[in-house]
Amino acid sequence: MRWAAILSAWFMLAPAQAAEIAIALTNDHVEVDTGFSGARLTLFGAISGIEAPAASAGVDIISVIRGPATQFQIRRLLKRGPIWIPGNTHAIKDAPGLYLTNANRPITDIAPLPDQALYSLGTDFLIIDATQGHTETPNAAQSGVHNNLFAKAFVTEAKDAGLYRDRIGGVEFKKGALFAINVYLPANTPVGDYSVAVYLYQDGVLLGRDEAELMVNKVGIERRIFDLAHNQPVTYGILSVVISLFAGWIAALAFRKS
Amino acid sequence: MLIYLPIAEIPVDPFVILFMGAVVGFLSGMFGVGGGFLMTPLLIFYGIPPAIAVGTQSSQIVALSVSGVLVHLKRKTVDFTMGGFLVAGGSVGVVVGIFIFRYFRAMGQIETFISLAYIIFLGLIGSLMMVESVRTLLRAPDAPRPRRKHRSVEWMAVMPFAMRFRRSQIYISPIPPIILGFFVGVLSAIMGVGGGFIMIPVMLYILKMPTNVVIGTSLFQIIFVTAIATVLHAAANQTVDIVLSLLLLSGGVIGAQIGARAGRRLKGEQLRALLALIVLGVCARLVFGLVTPPASPFIVVGGP
Repeated sequence: MRWAAILSAWFMLAPAQAAEIAIALTNDHVEVDTGFSGARLTLFGAISGIEAPAASAGVDIISVIRGPATQFQIRRLLKRGPIWIPGNTHAIKDAPGLYLTNANRPITDIAPLPDQALYSLGTDFLIIDATQGHTETPNAAQSGVHNNLFAKAFVTEAKDAGLYRDRIGGVEFKKGALFAINVYLPANTPVGDYSVAVYLYQDGVLLGRDEAELMVNKVGIERRIFDLAHNQPVTYGILSVVISLFAGWIAALAFRKS
Repeated sequence: MLIYLPIAEIPVDPFVILFMGAVVGFLSGMFGVGGGFLMTPLLIFYGIPPAIAVGTQSSQIVALSVSGVLVHLKRKTVDFTMGGFLVAGGSVGVVVGIFIFRYFRAMGQIETFISLAYIIFLGLIGSLMMVESVRTLLRAPDAPRPRRKHRSVEWMAVMPFAMRFRRSQIYISPIPPIILGFFVGVLSAIMGVGGGFIMIPVMLYILKMPTNVVIGTSLFQIIFVTAIATVLHAAANQTVDIVLSLLLLSGGVIGAQIGARAGRRLKGEQLRALLALIVLGVCARLVFGLVTPPASPFIVVGGP
């Protein structure tokens, strides 16, 4: 009886002891313009409930940046005669357009497996749906294996393209309860709405998490060009011809004397 | 410094693009060819998606041809009647070409299709030019040149609706020009070329047009056909990158001026052998790209 009382009291107390984490972005608006060659993004945050988190051992932080859900297609190159040509298309449904994690040490050392799976911590735990466009294999089990293969290949390709990355580092514990995470957005960062999440761990236990939103926008002349080309393709085409005619005429004028 | 191409959606080094434009411009100035058939493969080698390379090339060729045709208009070396029939055939050809392009794009095989089309055409034309120029170079300089036989093409004589083309001073049926225009239009749409390298020999050797009107007339046709191709590529495939096009053009016009000067110092036969070598080299590089096992067996496309 007494034990039960103590135990229940302890459980009730537990939330009070839980530390909390909160983040803010230096800028929640990233603009991709003609000269965009990547951007550095700093997440600032504070931890409450833990005395001097930097010093105390076992405090870990993981950040996850997720780009807008994007439809990709992946295909395997097959040898047909002497040449390599793309095979059937596998649609990758709603995969994050960008997926970057930062942690002060390897995520596998920080978070237990169920957490990694639950929160998709790290590229190994991303859920990728690689549904087959056409039936390539006769039975369902085999096609499941097949889809898994394409999903794995997709993550590898996205990592090579710099769109998916797990990075150890970038997490700096500042004075007292403050910390900062430096994230590098690559030049091929897609536009759209992003979610930023941070997870606070101590000795393998999730103590708190927080989320923020980020928007990546195309700005400047090339955004207008893109919009025009996709919303009014015929106008864009005619405009391209007019510009080309004019440019050709200018070129002829420029070199007439020489 | 990098510039983000709005339609290709990739960052590129503008100086590399300017340089590529200048190199192809140099070659086209030196050899008197359009250079589209060299530019599209170069863009592909640089990493521009083939479909965008082709669409963008159409708009660039419009600009190059306009700057080229102005001189011919002044010299009155454009046969408008002939040009009109070529454009008529070309307009239909472009539409057919865009349909073929879209079909292969929907199948996801447009990259392979463009590469194969280039390999066939560059291989064929490069070999023909090489054989021709080696033969000429090997011939003793004193030996008399074999006389070209002046036989008229018989199948042309039996074609109906024969009419007079005043500026070309020929009397032929308009059907062969329409067919030629059609064929060049198809090529233009699927390969992003002007098609002068096909059109000019046909005009000279089959239609028997005089040399002085051939270039102006072909440029006249190319302007219209590539303009239509540009609008259709933009409308149907969204593959015209005007920023890339203008960068290429800037490099191209400068390169062409230097090339034209360099070309005057070389002999015709040497020039042709050199161009044949370049064409075969580009062809070999495309073949290499298709037959070598890929670094990664998977390709990913897509975006938001």
